[in-house]
Amino acid sequence: MGRKLASSDRGAGPYIWRFSGIERVLHAMVIVSFFGLVITGTPLLYSHMPWARTLIRMVGGFQAAGFIHRICAVITFGYFFIHIGHLTYRIAKSTNKKRFFWGPDSMVGQPRDLQDIRDTFKWFAGKGPRPQFDRFNYMDKLDYWGEFWGVTVIGGSGLVLWFPVFFSKVLPGWMFNVATIIHGIEALLATGIIFTIHFFNVNLRPEKFPVDVVMFTGRATLDYMKEEHPLQYERLSREGRLGELIAPPPSRAAYLWSVTLGLIALSLGILLIGLIIWALIQGGWR
Amino acid sequence: MRERKRGPARIVRTLLPVVFVFGLAVGNASTVAAQVENQESPIVTCEACHGDPRFLVGKETAEEQAALLVPDSLLLDTVHSQLKCVDCHPGPAMGYPHGPQVAVGCGTCHESEQTDWEVSIHALDVIEDGDAPTCAGCHGVHEVYSIDDRRSPTYPLNVATMCGRCHADPSIIGTYFSSPEEAQARVAVEQYHETVHGAALERAGLALSATCNDCHESHRVLPASSPESSVNRANVVKTCGDCHVGILETYEEGSAHGAAYREHLRGPTGHEAPACVDCHSAHSIVEADEPRWFVGVVEECGKCHEDVYETYFSTYHGQVTALGFELTAKCSDCHTPHNMRPATDPESSVHPLNLVETCARCHPEANQSFVRYYAHGDASDRERYPVLFWSWLFMTTLLVSVWTFFGLHSLFWLIRVTIERARGTGHGT
Repeated sequence: MGRKLASSDRGAGPYIWRFSGIERVLHAMVIVSFFGLVITGTPLLYSHMPWARTLIRMVGGFQAAGFIHRICAVITFGYFFIHIGHLTYRIAKSTNKKRFFWGPDSMVGQPRDLQDIRDTFKWFAGKGPRPQFDRFNYMDKLDYWGEFWGVTVIGGSGLVLWFPVFFSKVLPGWMFNVATIIHGIEALLATGIIFTIHFFNVNLRPEKFPVDVVMFTGRATLDYMKEEHPLQYERLSREGRLGELIAPPPSRAAYLWSVTLGLIALSLGILLIGLIIWALIQGGWR
Repeated sequence: MRERKRGPARIVRTLLPVVFVFGLAVGNASTVAAQVENQESPIVTCEACHGDPRFLVGKETAEEQAALLVPDSLLLDTVHSQLKCVDCHPGPAMGYPHGPQVAVGCGTCHESEQTDWEVSIHALDVIEDGDAPTCAGCHGVHEVYSIDDRRSPTYPLNVATMCGRCHADPSIIGTYFSSPEEAQARVAVEQYHETVHGAALERAGLALSATCNDCHESHRVLPASSPESSVNRANVVKTCGDCHVGILETYEEGSAHGAAYREHLRGPTGHEAPACVDCHSAHSIVEADEPRWFVGVVEECGKCHEDVYETYFSTYHGQVTALGFELTAKCSDCHTPHNMRPATDPESSVHPLNLVETCARCHPEANQSFVRYYAHGDASDRERYPVLFWSWLFMTTLLVSVWTFFGLHSLFWLIRVTIERARGTGHGT
């Protein structure tokens, strides 16, 4: 069949589960709300650009943009707290609490990640082998904690700007200026990381180009797991748990939808980054 | 005015029969002779010839025909209905037949109008053999109506069209207003129709609204560069204030602009203190309720207030404005349109004591803490806004360092994988 469009389908099967249903639903909520927020928010940051006008008129004017922005903010807080709730539930349920926080399945940064970073840079310099990652590598953890930090900082400053009268009872008015600065630059950081670094790490780097739909279908081929998460594969094989994770291949429809939506999201993200770069070239960093 | 007209009119009326008898004695025009024979009265009226279309035989052009066919009925309901032909054309009284007749100057009766016109740019051009209008050019020749008469070209609803006969004529504009400084004059009439004044006249049919002569004067029309002109910077505030009395009071009594204008002060950018036309323009005045006004006024203020213009656009108010929407606060929403005063003035809308009230116009629940918002906060100004500066610097450092680290990470990754693939050892192939 030759090379598959989605890199999560590379090589031979069987398929292995990587992401659970709730994780995929939450990620879909992240995608939808994040695009909504970026499309309706960035035009304010670059309001002097002609594309900003076009974009804001496309969504129905600045009041409609503000409405969409707030709806997406609610979705953001929604997935954030669903995740916190789900996490709490899983912590309570887990029998091995230490392993939950300090094991290969944990998102918590561990000494292993620092070694991985060091080894990766050695590999870049041609002075070592390609590092072998377990279930979550340090780039996955960057995305995860970046989301935590981003939602807290952007969400918090956004709430201050959403309810200024309420917050003026506890904060001086100039905190709205500070909130505007924090909200804008942190949003730009999030946009910049997600639409360039995240896109590169999970979709665009040569091994994964053009798209990896494991986060949509939840599963990837055994060959994918061997290359991208070799330590996890070895660990599961050693522990004899690989069989538990064998998944049926995604349906044809689910696969095609995943690839299509993935490519659309990628293109849209890159387009938005292009617009931001255009604005920065023209207006400089303010 | 009317008293003055009666003097010469009476004299002419008395002399008229004598004149015509004398004229007949030496005359040989068959029409006149025939008419005398057919009539019992020896008195011949001008109407006898100039009221008869047959008189026009051989007169080809419309101008000639119009000038020569002047039946009494034509003047019947004009402002000059009480005058006789010879009041303005004394020539025939001096002999018959009469050749082409030149009218007496209108100034004979309309003395002050004549005096005003004589110093106008129109008169200057006439003296230089130009084609600028004399009295008849605007008021008409025989069908002269009062300015209150709907038919008069000088009736308010008709003035712009009348002036436009020349001032919207491309050949005339090209001749008289060809220099770059006169760019505004070239489009003045065309733009006028779109202004609040023009729309009030032409769309709302409001005859009271300002038309050309209300600002430029009717007879003493002078270019704005002339110190005597009603639209010269030195006089234009008074000119606008003739109608906009309340605005003029506000502007003159307390506003920073009014005070500086009176003193002929120049701002830090070298601009003179703004007069009405600086913010509202001359020929593109739009209603101050229109979206394009709200969005445009910020640009006008920004021409002088450069630094606060910049900082305004870093706020939500300014960002939404830049996107072309009128709803968020513009300069005049906080600083008032005509009563703008420095923040140190206790009567200023932006004096700390008045800020709650000012902000509450849009934010009804504004309180003392709320109004400590920096409406012109500038994160690059470390002296005045240290907290904004440090917030900005911290966030920017965070962004730049995180993105640079992972950007390089991605770049190195791409290079390494490309090298490995060239060697045939890469992943995902």
